[in-house]
Amino acid sequence: MPQLAPPLPYSSPASPWLQRLFKPFRRTGQRWRGGIKLADHKALSNQTPIQQIAVKGLRIAVPLGDGRRQVEPCVVAGQQVLKGELIGRGEPMSLWAHASTSGRVAAIERAYPADRDQPVPVVIIEADGRDRWIERQPVNTPQNAAELAQFSLQMGLIGLGGAGFPTGIKIAGSQQSDLLLINGAECEPFVTCDDRLMRERADTIIAAADYLSRVLEIAQVRIGVEPNKPEALAALNAAVAATGSRVQICRLPHRYPAGGQPMLVKSLSGRTLSPGMLPAEVGVMVLNVATLHALGRAVFHGEPLVSRVVTLTGDVDKPGNVEVPIGMPVPALLAAAQPRDQQRGVQVGGPMMGRELSHPNAVISKTSSCLIVRCDDLFPPRPPAGDCIRCNRCVDVCPMALQPLKLYAASQRADRITLQQEQLAACIECGACSHVCPSNLPLRDSFRDAKRELLAGARQ
Amino acid sequence: MKLAPTSVRGIMLAVSVALLPGIALQAWQFGPAVWLQTGWCTLFALLLEALCLRLRQLPVRQGLSDFSWLVCGLLLGQALPLMVPAWMMLVAALVALGLTKHASGGLGQNRLNPVMAGLGVIAVCFYQQLYPAPSAQLPWTQGLSIQQVLAQQWLLEPRLQLDSLSGATPLAHDQLADASPYVAWIGYLAGGLLLVLLRVIRLEIPLAMAASSVLLCILAGHPPLEALYSLTLGGFIFAAFFIATDPVTSPDSRFGRILFGAAIGAITELVREFGLYADGLCFAVLAGNLLVTQLDALSRRLFQPWYRVKMN
Repeated sequence: MPQLAPPLPYSSPASPWLQRLFKPFRRTGQRWRGGIKLADHKALSNQTPIQQIAVKGLRIAVPLGDGRRQVEPCVVAGQQVLKGELIGRGEPMSLWAHASTSGRVAAIERAYPADRDQPVPVVIIEADGRDRWIERQPVNTPQNAAELAQFSLQMGLIGLGGAGFPTGIKIAGSQQSDLLLINGAECEPFVTCDDRLMRERADTIIAAADYLSRVLEIAQVRIGVEPNKPEALAALNAAVAATGSRVQICRLPHRYPAGGQPMLVKSLSGRTLSPGMLPAEVGVMVLNVATLHALGRAVFHGEPLVSRVVTLTGDVDKPGNVEVPIGMPVPALLAAAQPRDQQRGVQVGGPMMGRELSHPNAVISKTSSCLIVRCDDLFPPRPPAGDCIRCNRCVDVCPMALQPLKLYAASQRADRITLQQEQLAACIECGACSHVCPSNLPLRDSFRDAKRELLAGARQ
Repeated sequence: MKLAPTSVRGIMLAVSVALLPGIALQAWQFGPAVWLQTGWCTLFALLLEALCLRLRQLPVRQGLSDFSWLVCGLLLGQALPLMVPAWMMLVAALVALGLTKHASGGLGQNRLNPVMAGLGVIAVCFYQQLYPAPSAQLPWTQGLSIQQVLAQQWLLEPRLQLDSLSGATPLAHDQLADASPYVAWIGYLAGGLLLVLLRVIRLEIPLAMAASSVLLCILAGHPPLEALYSLTLGGFIFAAFFIATDPVTSPDSRFGRILFGAAIGAITELVREFGLYADGLCFAVLAGNLLVTQLDALSRRLFQPWYRVKMN
């Protein structure tokens, strides 16, 4: 049962005069437990506008399906395709796939997405470099939730924040929601793709938010942005002022993980998203800014999700943000950033929640937001793990109020009962505990593994 | 907050440095015996730690590099009564490192505070052989030279006759000692507060200890000022900031830590009031250590996280 009257995160003052007086305090979201302050290293890559990238002659490997459901390829080897052309389709609730550049279909085989351990089926397109679009249909804009859900799936929209949940399924499940929250926190260090997107394309984001709230009949829309992105906040505010939109721009607490779903919901709505609950159960719909931007492109311009902004940063000569076609090979993309040392490892996603590049020839998937070339001064290698001295720092920083030290001890001796009693399932794998551990214990990684084992055990 | 240590080694070194002002003041008041005892204890702790690591077939150099032996040795040197013979220090270190720490599975696994376990064995087993503790009124160790202290520690000379000593010392020092109060607690307090600022220890335990002890003292009929003054006596401040706050043997929740500190303070005061020993800190801390699991369970039962927990 969704709460109907949303508890506001800030008081709404009575008069405009009071409003002005309270403005500095008004739009800061509620605080939540735990979290850490991180050195954000965002200035490395957020200084230059989003670049386009040349793909001529590259073998672009577009993944089919979202990893949950596969779709069948509807092209054959040798066929010419245009950018945005449908190349994979399936049953009604599956996510369709589109060619991300124009060229010739070379083969249908398997490849590794940058952030997955298992290879997935892909359509290999030999890019001709002209990047010609299909004729983008004069859009007949979806006017209700069911139509929009179907449309989103057919446009290949998934959450670009990292979890990669199909947006259409989220829309279909959010018909009772009364609050739309847009996640512009980007709390991970190094990553700046959402920051640049909000600075440069705020109008599309705001227009898409207005459209979505109208179609889903959601009264309130709030965008949460961490205050370390003043330019993005200014751009969003300007876009809101220019269009007279009802979207509220809110500052989030400047602490990692402000963009974690339970934290974001707490900050912006004051509602409690318990572990195992979907946001729709508390009457909230949460979308990432990049997802909302992609939705705007799809609805207003008829463009399916064929590219995403990827941050290239770390030990490179040309850091920055690049708009990359889905399926771009990682080595070619890294070459564009000119790494100083070719032998360094590459981190996909942020340093906290991201992971090592899965395969040297992996391809950019819809959920890979950032490539960081590791370097010792910005990204020091982790010293070997010692013994837990029960200093309780992990308990202090855990945003989900868990006892990571007990969970770790239990996971070391594979004690399932304790793991369940200590609520391992509530862990959001933010990695704050690993970051503060003076003994450098691999807390988060062991929780990730233990969760997987618990799930496997539950299935048997 | 750049100074706050972020590694186990940093934490241990910070504790060692924070102990120095207290040790220095102690040595200023009670003579070179303090430095010698601290030195021997540290040396024994180092050797025993290496031996235990060797016996457990762990990498010795890596095991020693966390400097937990240094903290253990320094604390043991302060906790043991002054002028104990070297073999007692060795026994205490053996109980602390061998029996309490490594026999429980190494750093972070022990339930009892190693230093207090070592002290407890000495205090219980060899009670008759201990010299009376030198006090501010009677700092009888101050007049001893390094040679005398060494000879006593290694049993090279017959045991000192304290009757003559206690009679002679105040005269020898020309009543100077009478005027100076016990001061080492100021050093320990300063070091402890430094550790609080560096976020190495938490203030909850010392505060709860002091509060419960003072409260009980007042309830026992002492005037409030005397109750406050009793905090500076013996090893109270030292134990409150450096022994009871050992994270390994204290509870994992704030509520638990407050109860833990209150229990230690109360037991200390009870022993001071009714017990055989002048200072019950050692037994109070050990009793508190045994309560940790229960205190943690209690606070888990009382405090829910901010979200609704689904039990399955």
